[in-house]
Amino acid sequence: MATKIQIKNLRKVYDTPERRVHALENINLDVEDGEFLCFVGLSGCGKTTLLNILAGFVEITAGHVMMDGKPLTDDYDKGVVFQEYALFPWRTARKNVEYGLEIRKVPAEKRKQIALDLLRLVRLEDFADFYPHNLSGGMRQRVAVARALAFDPQVLLMDEPFGALDAQTREELQELTVDVWQKTRKTVVYVTHNLSEAVYLGTRIVVFLPRPGRIREIVHVSLPRPREALAPEFVAIQQKLDDLIREQ
Amino acid sequence: MSTTQTATAPPDLSLDAPTRRATSLWVKVRPVYPFLVVMGLWQLAAMQAGGNYGLLFPTVDQIAVRAWELVTGPLMRALAANPNLPLLDYFYYLGQSPILWHTLATAWRLPLAFALGALVGVPIGILMGRYAFWESFFVPLLAVLLPIPALAWTPMAILWFGLGDLTVIIIIAFASFLPVAMAVWTGVKTVNPVWIRAAQSMNASKMTIFRTVVLPGSLPMIMGGMRLGLARAWRAGVGAEAFAGIRWGLSAGIFNAQEFLDIAFMMVAIAVLGLFGYALEKTLFQPIESRTVIRWGMMEAIGAQNKKA
Repeated sequence: MATKIQIKNLRKVYDTPERRVHALENINLDVEDGEFLCFVGLSGCGKTTLLNILAGFVEITAGHVMMDGKPLTDDYDKGVVFQEYALFPWRTARKNVEYGLEIRKVPAEKRKQIALDLLRLVRLEDFADFYPHNLSGGMRQRVAVARALAFDPQVLLMDEPFGALDAQTREELQELTVDVWQKTRKTVVYVTHNLSEAVYLGTRIVVFLPRPGRIREIVHVSLPRPREALAPEFVAIQQKLDDLIREQ
Repeated sequence: MSTTQTATAPPDLSLDAPTRRATSLWVKVRPVYPFLVVMGLWQLAAMQAGGNYGLLFPTVDQIAVRAWELVTGPLMRALAANPNLPLLDYFYYLGQSPILWHTLATAWRLPLAFALGALVGVPIGILMGRYAFWESFFVPLLAVLLPIPALAWTPMAILWFGLGDLTVIIIIAFASFLPVAMAVWTGVKTVNPVWIRAAQSMNASKMTIFRTVVLPGSLPMIMGGMRLGLARAWRAGVGAEAFAGIRWGLSAGIFNAQEFLDIAFMMVAIAVLGLFGYALEKTLFQPIESRTVIRWGMMEAIGAQNKKA
């Protein structure tokens, strides 16, 4: 598999008047094209910071981030799904999905077509004309996934997108996410603190340790899909991750 | 959110139909009955007043007769002179009613001046919200100016702009510009940052983010500022009309009526002032809000809580 994103000797330091925080130290990581990569770790381990660097929201202190062999620019095409509900309340589900296409000056007819196709992909075709406040939390995040995919981005970055949902909805959306990933073959980087979620979703799982934020290990998951959360192999990987994130 | 509300709403057991009908009648009467109570108390008090006090405390029926006279006076006099008045002349004489002219004078002056104030206030608020330089320039000015009643400027404005409409319009515009600018500034500054981040992640330019995210996102605050601005415009207008030596206008009429001890006229004009403000609220703000921020779930409709209860 080709390397999509290459991270070399990356370092991120936050300097505040009171103290200096080593958010990320000596990060080396290759994100493969088309893989589903999960970041796990305790809070403060830098997993969200690294995602924000990949999204272009945060400047790096030292090191390199390369995409397809070229330095990463802020304006490359990436789809981001946030933990908070980030849909625009004044736009219907379809108009939310069309937003990124409007930015790219796609003609109205084409926009509508793409948006409806994507809403079908996340099984919300009947809710295209609903405003977000009339949708449940799970539905809103499905629209957010569709919106992030609309302009056919190079990578899909997801920051604990289902963290605020109840357990049943969460499982439903995990299954949907795998389905979307298998159909679109996007490179996905997915941040979560939920280990079972990481084992269910990921092809590889990057385990972070805090203070300073660093990579402890990268765990490959080759279980067949759909994965069964009660299978002994599944539980064994989850147990291993649980041991790893607690190391000092 | 609203889906869960619908889901948890009590089931409609149509057994208590008569009770519900009574309740819906009560809901309709509820906003009116306090006025009826106050009018009843006024009537009782006015009936006790005699002699000169009777002149100062007209009873409700006397006020009603005077209100009728104010509206139909010219028509009645014309009818007395010529009982076979052509139908079109009815409209002509109804159009002669002084209270109508006072109302019309206020009705064009106030919205025009408010629009002028908002036209200045919105761009200044946007500048303040977008650029730190303009923020640090205008915030101290507005913070000091905002608590000063616009009426305090009126004597100076009269000296500068003379007696007349121009002074009134300038005072009203100034009074409404301040809260509008403050509200737009706050609205622009407090737009949910995750919306901006989402737009950034899709590579929207700063200008596009402003147009497609910041403006709609701050609309609830902007509407609130417009409301406040109109309320202040209303108050400033009542004061300025009285002092600017103009003949027509509800409040000019009220102050003129003082010289004739015409309490009934004042009461009628005050009632029209109140109804006018209520009508502006109903026809201007509520339709805009129900099409935008309420539809988007960014604001609850006024009275929505009551309806649920």
